Amino acid sequence: MASGIVSIKVNGRAEEVVTGAVTTLQDVLRNNLDYTSVKDGCSQGGCGACSVIVDGELRLSCLTPVQEVDGSEVVTLEGLNLSNSITALQQKFIEKYAAQCGFCTPGMMVAITALLDRNANPSRDEIAEALAGNICRCTGYLPIIEAVESIVAEMAGIAGD
Amino acid sequence: MAMKDLKIVGQPVKLRDLDTHVTGETVFYEDVRVPRMLHLKMHRSRYPHARILGIDTSQALSSPGVVTVLTHEDLPGKKLYNALAGAGVGPEDEPVLAFDKVRWKGESVAAVIAETPEQANAAVAKIKVEYEELPAVFDVEEAIKDGAPNLTAHWPNNHYVYPDDHRAAQIRYGDVEKAFAEADHIVEDSYQTQPIEQAPMETNGCIAVPEGDGRITVYSNTQALQFSLDVTAGILDMPTSKLRFVGGTVGGGFGGKVDIQPEPITTLAALRTGRPVKFKYTREEEMQVSSSRSAWRVYVKDGVMNDGRIIARKVTTYQDSGAYLRFSSYACMKHCGHMPGPYTIPNVSVDSIVVFTNRTPSNAMRGFGVMAGSFALEVQMDKIAETIGMDPWELRLINAYREGDMKAHRKEVEDAGMVESILAAAEMAGKQLPENFRNMSSLDRKAG
Amino acid sequence: MAEYLRPSSLEEAAGMIAAHGSTLAIVAGGTSAMRFAVPYVAYAMGVRGLGMNEIERSSGGLSLGAGVTMRQIRDSLPIPALQDAARGVGGPALQNMATIGGNIFAHPPNGDVATVLLAMDATVTFFTTNGERTQKLEEFYDSGAQADGLLTRIDCAAPGGELVFLKCGRQRFNSRTVISVAACIGLDNGKVGNACIAVGGAGAHPMRCAAAEQALIGRALDDAAITAAGDEAARASSPGTDAVASEWYRRRMVATYLCRALRQIAAG
Repeated sequence: MASGIVSIKVNGRAEEVVTGAVTTLQDVLRNNLDYTSVKDGCSQGGCGACSVIVDGELRLSCLTPVQEVDGSEVVTLEGLNLSNSITALQQKFIEKYAAQCGFCTPGMMVAITALLDRNANPSRDEIAEALAGNICRCTGYLPIIEAVESIVAEMAGIAGD
Repeated sequence: MAMKDLKIVGQPVKLRDLDTHVTGETVFYEDVRVPRMLHLKMHRSRYPHARILGIDTSQALSSPGVVTVLTHEDLPGKKLYNALAGAGVGPEDEPVLAFDKVRWKGESVAAVIAETPEQANAAVAKIKVEYEELPAVFDVEEAIKDGAPNLTAHWPNNHYVYPDDHRAAQIRYGDVEKAFAEADHIVEDSYQTQPIEQAPMETNGCIAVPEGDGRITVYSNTQALQFSLDVTAGILDMPTSKLRFVGGTVGGGFGGKVDIQPEPITTLAALRTGRPVKFKYTREEEMQVSSSRSAWRVYVKDGVMNDGRIIARKVTTYQDSGAYLRFSSYACMKHCGHMPGPYTIPNVSVDSIVVFTNRTPSNAMRGFGVMAGSFALEVQMDKIAETIGMDPWELRLINAYREGDMKAHRKEVEDAGMVESILAAAEMAGKQLPENFRNMSSLDRKAG
Repeated sequence: MAEYLRPSSLEEAAGMIAAHGSTLAIVAGGTSAMRFAVPYVAYAMGVRGLGMNEIERSSGGLSLGAGVTMRQIRDSLPIPALQDAARGVGGPALQNMATIGGNIFAHPPNGDVATVLLAMDATVTFFTTNGERTQKLEEFYDSGAQADGLLTRIDCAAPGGELVFLKCGRQRFNSRTVISVAACIGLDNGKVGNACIAVGGAGAHPMRCAAAEQALIGRALDDAAITAAGDEAARASSPGTDAVASEWYRRRMVATYLCRALRQIAAG
């Protein structure tokens, strides 16, 4: 089998992966690069726990062959952790009890980041739709939606000041 | 003690690992990094009921990347287990790896340990098991009929036997037959629930790591860490002091992670290979192989007076345990004790029976035993209300238990709050109740 | 694991398809292929690098690259029926990945966008080792949905009337499809002049429903005609039973949802 080098930038760092067979981006991020915030809940695009941002767009890393993101910039929750906006969102998650078992939480964080990048002032409905691909079995979603609503309100307040 | 004196009750308490949940730094079992890890995949029964005539692992053993293959012959200690054996529940009826027979489709038969998950999967497909297919039974009432296919000598009639040779968990209180004869109405029906998968976000799994001091460390997401440690020690014939189980971080459980399926075999694999081994259920295994909530069939017969008083309730329940016992005798006892619901009824008879069928073994899930009972009873309450032409809220208020009432299993009611709960729900729902009902109280049956 | 092939031109891709036949899976967005095809074949061919993600509009008509994503349809195509269909496919991450070409090959009951394309009487163009081949999407499905090359383009004329898409699902967002219907009705002096009706999730692939169309053409779009069309569509359906819905339920929903779509058109 012919192997090739796939070059990606993950959380700002240049990485190279040598691969010939189909390898998922999820496998590379979790197992080659140890970005363990990228969870594996179903390996079939059904749960959203493996969500990452590729070139600014939300993607499911479990259904993405790493070869298809050659030359791309990939961001996981580890990469977002240092930004001010995610820190504020994380604080809201803690205040609103928006995480219980914590397994879906990294995917939720990434999906919310992608939402707010596209739409800084989403309605409750838009928040629900933006998180429709991320399954949570513990919270019943309401605390998560409320955490996003409150960060949106806070950001609007800051912008209005 | 007044509420103001309480420090924890009434206050939100932060989860201990919430700070790392939101940053993705919480270490779930699968996030533990160990070098040279092997992967375990299970060859599973294709039949719901069959005799095993032979297991040929030779082709799997020579498959690329395979380190070893384990069958029942490799088990050093117990071949049968029950998670609650340490708590006196039994008998131990479930094989770690099937030997004489398979009793459900998906039962573990042989474990392949290989360098990669893909290589393990490829070798699993090369295991040849010779079966003699046997007639299977999938319905609880069919299973306990004379002549039904028998699953195991443990249960000659395919049902659990409670202490003192009882086929059912039972309540006998008053005289239901006499009360039925005196009742103005008899309301009778049957209710059926289906198996439900808990579907945690993280599937069942563990990593077992041999340590230099001869111990094995097991990182697991089980909800039953102590049970699992105990069972694993028995199966490996090892003292528990040689096993270090690390758990507590569970990516959702809801009862779906008390099976004790992954840990014993993965620990044995680590012991045999001298290398770390990981066993992780695929989502398909989680759906099809991990236990579900039981299916329950509940027959309810009530004797009711024109004024709404229920004077007799007879319940017969069949719990579908699937092929093995797991926690079912406990669930069925809990179901029995829940009857006749939060109502004071002077004549009660309950039989709840654990039945074995060739379906996936069932196990814990949020309020197991109680939920199916409540579903049956509350639909039945609505049916009674409809039959006698009474408001369903009023019917429940009339029959709700009051402080000091004797329950059917002969325990006095303490801290009753049913009437107040119904009244609060009525207010929130905008339900208008007559004044005499609004004045009802749990503390005084005559009030209202 | 399948070997990953990355063709750099349409010619190369067509050559790989011809060389490897059924041992090759085409990966565009990956949302379907990575689950249902790649694990079972020797070769996976990634086509994202070939572009094919242009949307071109000309005199009311449309030319869509097979690699156009659900997200692009939602953002850049002012055809509400297509937008509604794309919006119903998975969650946002999946919509960023899933392509219109992949939707045409989706396993039923998936294929909502293809259902709308059928009602728009779209054509599909394949690039083969013998050059380009264009045929009607309906003919492609009727002849067994066998591709002899790479699907590169979907073309459709401006809808010949009012176009409505409705999906029966289990939840508001990210719902599996029970069934879907798309209807395009052109009214001429109060009578149905042309009717193009397609049903998804009611057979091996989305299908046009000629009997339902015939029940409408030449008649006023009134209750009697609408009910007749719904009945014909249900009769022509052969849906499957799965964890989402039974054959019995799906067949009834075909009639219910087609009638709803037609009433919506009748109401203007």
